[in-house]
Amino acid sequence: MLALWACLPFPATGAEDTVAKVCAACHGSDGNSTDPTVPKLAGMDQEYLLRQLKGFASGQRRNEIMAGIVANLDSGEFATLAAWYGKQKPTPGKVVDAKLAEAGRRIYEDGNTDSGVPACAGCHQPDGGGNARFPRLAGQHQTYLLKQLGDYKSGRRATDRLMVTVGQRLTVDEMKALAEYIAGL
Amino acid sequence: MTPTKSCGIALLAILFASACAGPKPAQHGWNAPYPEMTAALRLQGDAARGEAAFVICQGCHRVGALGRVDGSYPRLAGQHATVLIKQLVDVRSGRRSNPKMLPFADHLALTTQEVADIAAYLERLPVPSDNGRGPGEQLDHGAKLYAADCATCHGQNGEGVADRYFPRLAGQHYRYLLREGRMIRDGTRRNANPDMVNAIRNYSDEDIDRVSDYVSRLPVAPAR
Repeated sequence: MLALWACLPFPATGAEDTVAKVCAACHGSDGNSTDPTVPKLAGMDQEYLLRQLKGFASGQRRNEIMAGIVANLDSGEFATLAAWYGKQKPTPGKVVDAKLAEAGRRIYEDGNTDSGVPACAGCHQPDGGGNARFPRLAGQHQTYLLKQLGDYKSGRRATDRLMVTVGQRLTVDEMKALAEYIAGL
Repeated sequence: MTPTKSCGIALLAILFASACAGPKPAQHGWNAPYPEMTAALRLQGDAARGEAAFVICQGCHRVGALGRVDGSYPRLAGQHATVLIKQLVDVRSGRRSNPKMLPFADHLALTTQEVADIAAYLERLPVPSDNGRGPGEQLDHGAKLYAADCATCHGQNGEGVADRYFPRLAGQHYRYLLREGRMIRDGTRRNANPDMVNAIRNYSDEDIDRVSDYVSRLPVAPAR
């Protein structure tokens, strides 16, 4: 019976209170933040989100703000929160530079064979929808994406070794182009 | 374990034993088994799980493992599972030089079981005949070189020999064959069969070009 319960998807109910009191101020009331430095979480895979919450708590993913916030949460609530955000409807992002986005599309779909950057589409899927292992990227804020890519490049974010390699191989110009394209997915 | 794999392992054991007893052990060390290679070869690969694990490879090797016509990434579709396993673990153990691929072949990216699964998935993929071809010059010279130096191991039709880790060549991209041919001749690939290094030791760049062109035109075999 216990094993059966453990196989069930995370419950999405019961998170509203914490979302409203703790998370919504930055991530928005429906998980679609308006602050471009704060990620949209709506529609991301719940397993991915849960892993990030645990990473903030353990310090594996370094983020002073999130570390402080998760320290005041009951870790038993992480799964409920992750499931709630996974069920929210993501809003589209906004492309401001179509030419830059087109340059980003080429890297996203083809990678850079000279520097060994794989096509992003390989793992994150052509539509940026992501999955449990590789997060949803579609419609994410450019500013947030750029910060994460930069953090992978510098090694500050090391939650995924493959992305550290990708960050090291990407140029800053390529990162800007990718962020612009991904925002429009 | 499949009969093919059992045969491969048995053959390896014989090869290894004879290499240890024989007069020139270093000459045949290129395919001597080492623990990780043996472990991956012994595992039963699952093609469905392999398809899921292959996502981290397809950013470069493309959907369907067709590689790229420009040769930057080889076609893996239809390659023998034994060859795929050996090359992948050779890359990740540092036996084959491939700095671009190394981080993606790491243990943190792929488990040994996933290596076996991916190989099982790739081996069954169809090989379309739209691979990159050479310029088509002096193909008779390429054919002559192939018959004299390559066909004994790689087969008349470039089909390779699974149990001996000789790769299938038919359907591979010309530019990839060209690059690897030079690396093997020059010793920079590092994990090449010494017999092949000897066979092409005196090849000019032109010779490698002609034979790669010829190989890129070999008819592809139907899917397994």
